[in-house]
Amino acid sequence: MAAVKALNPRAEVARAQAALSVNICAARGLQDVLRTNLGPKGTMKMLVSGAGDIKLTKDGNVLLHEMQIQHPTASLIAKVATAQDDITGDGTTSNVLIIGELLKQADLYISEGLHPRIITEGFEAAKIKALEVLEEIKIEKDMNREILRDVARTSLHTKVHTELAGVLTEAVVESLLAIRRPGFPIDLFMIEIMEMKHKSETDTTLIRGLVLDHGARHPDMKKRVEDAFILTCNVSLEYEKTEVNSGFFYKTAEEREKLVKAERQFIEDRVNKIIKLKRMVCSDGNKGFIVLNQKGIDPFSLDVLAKEGIVALRRAKRRNMERLTLACGGIAMNSLDDLTPECLGHAGLVYEYTLGEEKFTFIEKCDNPRSVTLLVKGPNKHTLTQIKDAIRDGLRAVKNALDDHCVVPGAGAVEVAISEALVKHKSSIKGRARLGVQAFADALLIIPKVLAQNSGFDLQETLVKIQAEHAETGKLYGIDLNTGAPMLPAESGIWDNYCVKKQLLHSCTVIATNILLVDEIMRAGMSSLRG
Amino acid sequence: MAGAAREVLTLQLGHFAGFVGAHWWNQQDAALGRLAGAKEVPGIKELLPGELCPDVLYRAGQTLHGQETYTPRLIVMDLKGSLNSLKQEGGLYQDKHLDAAIAWQGKLTTHKEELQANNPFLQNLLSAEGVMSSDGVWRVQAFPNGKGLLPLAKAFSPTSKSLIPPEGSIKVWSDFLHVQLHPRSICIIQKYNHDGEAGRLEGFGQGESLLREPTYLEELEDRLHFYVEECDYLQGFQVLCDLHDGFSGLGAKATELLQDEYAGRGILTWGLLPGPYTLGEPQKNFYRLFNTALGLVNIAAHSSLICPLSLGGGLGLRPEPPVTFPHLRYDVTLPYHSSALLATALDTITVPYRLHSSPISMVHLADMLSFSGRKVVTAGASIPFPVAPGHSLPDTLAQFGGTTPWTPLSACGEQSGTRCFAQSVVLRGVDKTRQTSQLSPGTSPSSPLHACTSGEEVLAQYLQQLQPGVLSSSQLLLSPCRVVPPYPRFFSSRLNQQGLILDGTHNGTAVETIPVLTTLCSSSLLHRVLSRLAGELANLDLRRWASFLAAGVEQDDMEETIQELHNLAQCYKDGDSLIS
Repeated sequence: MAAVKALNPRAEVARAQAALSVNICAARGLQDVLRTNLGPKGTMKMLVSGAGDIKLTKDGNVLLHEMQIQHPTASLIAKVATAQDDITGDGTTSNVLIIGELLKQADLYISEGLHPRIITEGFEAAKIKALEVLEEIKIEKDMNREILRDVARTSLHTKVHTELAGVLTEAVVESLLAIRRPGFPIDLFMIEIMEMKHKSETDTTLIRGLVLDHGARHPDMKKRVEDAFILTCNVSLEYEKTEVNSGFFYKTAEEREKLVKAERQFIEDRVNKIIKLKRMVCSDGNKGFIVLNQKGIDPFSLDVLAKEGIVALRRAKRRNMERLTLACGGIAMNSLDDLTPECLGHAGLVYEYTLGEEKFTFIEKCDNPRSVTLLVKGPNKHTLTQIKDAIRDGLRAVKNALDDHCVVPGAGAVEVAISEALVKHKSSIKGRARLGVQAFADALLIIPKVLAQNSGFDLQETLVKIQAEHAETGKLYGIDLNTGAPMLPAESGIWDNYCVKKQLLHSCTVIATNILLVDEIMRAGMSSLRG
Repeated sequence: MAGAAREVLTLQLGHFAGFVGAHWWNQQDAALGRLAGAKEVPGIKELLPGELCPDVLYRAGQTLHGQETYTPRLIVMDLKGSLNSLKQEGGLYQDKHLDAAIAWQGKLTTHKEELQANNPFLQNLLSAEGVMSSDGVWRVQAFPNGKGLLPLAKAFSPTSKSLIPPEGSIKVWSDFLHVQLHPRSICIIQKYNHDGEAGRLEGFGQGESLLREPTYLEELEDRLHFYVEECDYLQGFQVLCDLHDGFSGLGAKATELLQDEYAGRGILTWGLLPGPYTLGEPQKNFYRLFNTALGLVNIAAHSSLICPLSLGGGLGLRPEPPVTFPHLRYDVTLPYHSSALLATALDTITVPYRLHSSPISMVHLADMLSFSGRKVVTAGASIPFPVAPGHSLPDTLAQFGGTTPWTPLSACGEQSGTRCFAQSVVLRGVDKTRQTSQLSPGTSPSSPLHACTSGEEVLAQYLQQLQPGVLSSSQLLLSPCRVVPPYPRFFSSRLNQQGLILDGTHNGTAVETIPVLTTLCSSSLLHRVLSRLAGELANLDLRRWASFLAAGVEQDDMEETIQELHNLAQCYKDGDSLIS
């Protein structure tokens, strides 16, 4: 400390007790912000910016990203909590709550003179035991549609209102089952989330195919094509005139004309190749033909294609090219030299939908889509964002369940069970470290407490009832948030992710330990680069 | 094909880029309003032929209510907290009823950030612009040109003082922007804060890594796609990018993306450096140097041309006095002032590829200037171009003698003794009668300039005289630059309403338009500038700035950059000096 002071007299230093109280204060502050969010009955937060931009959220992760956190300790906790979201897709709020509570419980003992090091030893022992308990109570199940729906519903209910949660649950589970291939890891990128500012949020649907946010740029192209071949390609169909213009390649005006013509011809040849293929496969006249090009198509080429009855979309997004072939089949072509009918994909229905200045092209009724689209609808931007965030979490929850092959009961049941097991385990720990175990056991109960509190019930009363029920029967009881009575989450279909809880126990212990062991805070001309 | 606009998409990366952009759009908007007004009064029509094609930079659209809109084809990227009172989605496509709908039935708590009081200037603007109709839908007043665009010339009477924004009140660029933007224009980077101490976007590496994250990459791709997909004859992109902070890294990545995705299109990058820096903040100063060097090298590799734009005297660590303009008194410390000058220069420099008539495209312009790898170019401008009321263009040009008429705008220092390889010069705002000397028959011309029969010829002849043997392309436009508020009023009192230089002090009217002369030139001066920059970097011990390295730039990258700077500098080595 003295060294820092000598070098930089302006350095601020906080020591021992002071440092600890600064940190605990920050953790509790963050906890206070997020505690009202937890659970399906938590409050929604509406953030209004200075200019009037609205953000509506209940998601701890989103909130932490939106807040401008200036306190370094709070910022550290926020980073850990959001990292939890990056890894597992859920549990941000729980993370912040438990860290805050661990510090609060530890503070009680420290103020009575216990050294933080001993508490952290207790935390470590408690964590190991807690993970064992978690391992015991997890329920391995065959992940059928029913249980996946339960998992998705549990996750979505905490983010959006009940009616919408029902709609989204269905969409999320079906989309994941559609893209799942036995033996391959699930790639969530194969589910495109497309937003459309239209109608109301409950019109959100799953499209078994793709929705592109652009349309054909020619008035004569059909707005609706049934039974269509789909050609996906990445070939420029526009006359770029770059070489011609640069002036090194021609001497006279005629020569220039000739070059222009030659290049035009070059593009026309490409267009003709497409037309030839179209004539070949659509000889009977009932089938449609769609060209989806990643590069541009100029009005001349569009015109020629339109005359042939081909619908052409230009500048398809790069990330959609892979999805296109997965949804419709076929191969994405980088050159038109070896076009064969085998390169073509197929869709039962392609149609265009215009919304103000925006156009959407729906490619539906694909034979065996391995890439699907969740079409999010809503009347305004903040609703769309809210649903998109919820869907992301829902997808992650279902994916986690599929990856884990097991789930754990929700509604606070796990925390109550672990807490009780830890209290029993405490007696086997020697020395004062058992106080740390006790603190840990108490801290975990914050989850059922806050759940009860947010639903408007007396927290002690609710908690005591559940603990009693659990102790009596040994079954995993949680809170029924509608009545405040104990209930069995397993029977009501409330399931949480195993990996989320596991990650939660790990990261909370580590970060709480780190913060407890800080005994000096220095602030001296530090670079804000990594802030 | 000639009839269709050859579209250009503009990207503004960074806060100073926002400042320059805001001024630029305001100026273009003023010109558009003037055009719209001219249609009403047939008499003025001939005076203002639409030389510039607004469709190159603007797009026509439609709101969900069927209201026609005409908004810049623009993507702005800036940091959290930089918008002040501007809504991210803009007001144009707003619908009060639908926006209030909330998809939640339970408890709701509202956290409201303190409402930014719109400055009185903006309030005036809003009331002039549109009316909130009774059903709560924002409607823009109908205008004669059918495009929902405000003719500002009418909304603003330039004399009313209340419409001039107080200079102190301008903190961010949205404070004086009065063009309505499309909801897809503004992209806010939530990860970094605009101001405050923590979480700043300071280093090249940070900016680069932003576009490695799928969140921002997809966001940018989606926006690009939206604007580009509807273009029939896309010419290219103009990227306004801050070079002094982390946005230089973002710019490097963005141009790389553009080059990959839209091969064959022109990418003109304007590397912007805001006002003066002091030695008092060493860290900022060193970061600025690192970012500028890394940005220059990486952006040059991915764009057709890069031109640093700054009012500062040099790129190096030691501050040099800012450039001066003979008829202006501007405050270089105010971004509001310096960005206005750069915007005016840009508005004129970019003329060649925005014309209705001329076939020069962005790629063509770039090819001409970047011959044999000289991708860095310098800019210069004469704001205002000093024309006295009685003088013709030949008279005016002759009075410069052998000195260059423009002030350098690329932070490259003294120009004398350097050679120019190729240049594109634009002069605007000299009316037809003044372009030639209008000699009465029989008198012998006093100089070759006076003998020319057209204004274009005069300009070409003059450039030939000034720098013989240089590949020059010149454009002469009738329409001047419009400098109505919120353009800062920093003009000398000798300027009259049309920006002509009067002899005595002036008559009291505010300046509305000015003639401007600009040049974009690849000059042997860059050899010195780039080598010096490389030298200065090589002398620094990067390990002292470990925090810069921690943000994703490695020691090797820096050495490579120094090498690249030397290579670039080599391209500008004057052929003659090799022999002598």
